[in-house]
Amino acid sequence: MKTTVIGAYPKISDENQELRRALHRHDRGELDANGLSGVFDETTRWAIGELDWVGIDVVNDGQIRWDDMLAPFARAWDGCERGPLERFYDNNTYFRQPVITGPITTDGRTLLRDYEFARGIARGQFKAAVCGPLTFATLAEDHHYRSLEDRTLAVADAVAAEIRTLGAAGATLVDVEEPALVAHPEHFALARAAIERLATAGVPLALQTFFFPADPLLDALAAFPVAQVGIDVRSRETQVVEKLNALRHTVVLGIVDARNTRVETERELAGVIEAALRQMPADYLWLAPTTGLEYLPHAIAVQKLKALVAAARATGGVKV
Amino acid sequence: MTDQVLLTTTVGSFGKPDYLQKARNANARGKLGDSELSELERKATEEWIRRQERLDIDILVDGEMYRGDMVAYFAERLEGFRLGGLVRSYGNRYYHKPIIASKVGRPKPMTVDWFRYAQSLTDRPVKGMLTGPYTLLDWSYNEAYQTRREAALALAEVVRQEAEDLQAAGARYIQVDEPAIHARPEEIDIAIEAMAVVTQNLDVKTISHVCYGDFAAIYPKVLELPVDQLDLAMANYGYRWLELFDRDPFTKELAIGIVDVHSHETESVAEAAAGIRKGLRYVSKERLLPHPDCGLKTRTVEESEEKCRVVVEATKVVRKELARQAAPA
Repeated sequence: MKTTVIGAYPKISDENQELRRALHRHDRGELDANGLSGVFDETTRWAIGELDWVGIDVVNDGQIRWDDMLAPFARAWDGCERGPLERFYDNNTYFRQPVITGPITTDGRTLLRDYEFARGIARGQFKAAVCGPLTFATLAEDHHYRSLEDRTLAVADAVAAEIRTLGAAGATLVDVEEPALVAHPEHFALARAAIERLATAGVPLALQTFFFPADPLLDALAAFPVAQVGIDVRSRETQVVEKLNALRHTVVLGIVDARNTRVETERELAGVIEAALRQMPADYLWLAPTTGLEYLPHAIAVQKLKALVAAARATGGVKV
Repeated sequence: MTDQVLLTTTVGSFGKPDYLQKARNANARGKLGDSELSELERKATEEWIRRQERLDIDILVDGEMYRGDMVAYFAERLEGFRLGGLVRSYGNRYYHKPIIASKVGRPKPMTVDWFRYAQSLTDRPVKGMLTGPYTLLDWSYNEAYQTRREAALALAEVVRQEAEDLQAAGARYIQVDEPAIHARPEEIDIAIEAMAVVTQNLDVKTISHVCYGDFAAIYPKVLELPVDQLDLAMANYGYRWLELFDRDPFTKELAIGIVDVHSHETESVAEAAAGIRKGLRYVSKERLLPHPDCGLKTRTVEESEEKCRVVVEATKVVRKELARQAAPA
């Protein structure tokens, strides 16, 4: 069993607030774009260093430059603007709603520079991440496309272009962060059509679902053309662990709650892992926080990661 | 004022003056004493009462010069809470998200002295302002209670105590804000049950402010929230929530947000007046209260004042129109 993270890592801690200060200085005109970019890079280095140090096997870049899950894309893509603040699902965290004003197009290079920078820092396996097409499409305000279907597939084509570039740059795994799939299970066929377009890029994909239970979708998920499926077992009541044998993918099981400060006990985590292993072989089970750790204070996020790594080792999956 | 229509009000917080912001920072660093800070908070409160009178707002607030975050303020004063580390809310904004670490209790009143002080400064009514139990729960980490319902009901009990103390201190309006109410639409029954605990013994005007979320997901169920008045952000949403009232008529008083609070720019008086007219299609002039979409604490004093000015001017424009329509030909 490998350990991994998904989504955004806390950008600051109570002790290290350099990025926060740099952004304030940038707002006041005291720090130029290059200076700010340097601080983003340093913060990315810090985040990846911590993930490595704690012992996470497959890391991402912590999405330090991302204001929210949709922001890098809404900023870079033609046909998109950034609109008003909205609450991000059931979190007291906000995102800028993308406003679609024309056909969405991209040069596909939105994430390239940051991907290459971060991959150069990570000691172990490194993965990229993109926003899920259905998530982007359901959260956007649309003044251009005629239907959710048209919008979702247009977003999928743009995301596929991003993945193709990442693949050409050497990416071997890309997380597709798609909470909308479990938030709106009624749209699973559309989500699948979108993921099929992403799969044409030829890079292994990890479809990350979170915040809502995956129970009603397990059978449908089995047919998604992805290498991995991420499932949150903490945010809401779910019996999904008992049914994991419905999947033929690697399962990224979100077993530590990235949205609550109570740190899970080793026994609690072992219970979930053992239940999962009754349904599937260890080679196909990865362990992760439920979602991005940025919903937690930094110090707790580190404790959660330590609990995750300890649980993986205690259940015998990883050689120390 | 009693025969006035379209009473104007605000959602609760205003921009803090620079001297107070600096004093709060100095206090946080241990370089300014609590009593010195409190003096400045009283000064800023009085300034905001005077400003609201000058602006001719009908139902005032104390402006929350002494509060930072609307959940943390209460968490710092309730037993059972501790403050967690910094967490980002958006952009470069961070806050100390509270942790419910053990069973909650209220050692003593938390807002009553501030209410008494603010009310002593003016003849106009000042609202008592509280954060609702569901929002206190949803915007905190819960380590102490087995279920979210259990936590919400425990918090409702402490909010009820505070609300009843505000009523005893003379508050004629008590606002219990639930901006998190649509965070999990499937839990709205919990929010309603908790609010019923809070308002069960109140015989003053009760209000709840709801903002920034999918209001459609909780409408019309939210009409069961046991308060007299719902206070809604509308300008930020292009008034789209009003269309919901076509199918299921709105049954409460409506405090209608007619200026967006998150932009530095303020709508014109004409735009804001158009917002009031939209509201009047659904709610009578006696039951419609114009105000800014949300609290103004993220704005400067000047911006806060400008947004309020536009609300009051727009209201006066529409009041005149209504008076002309009512006048015999």
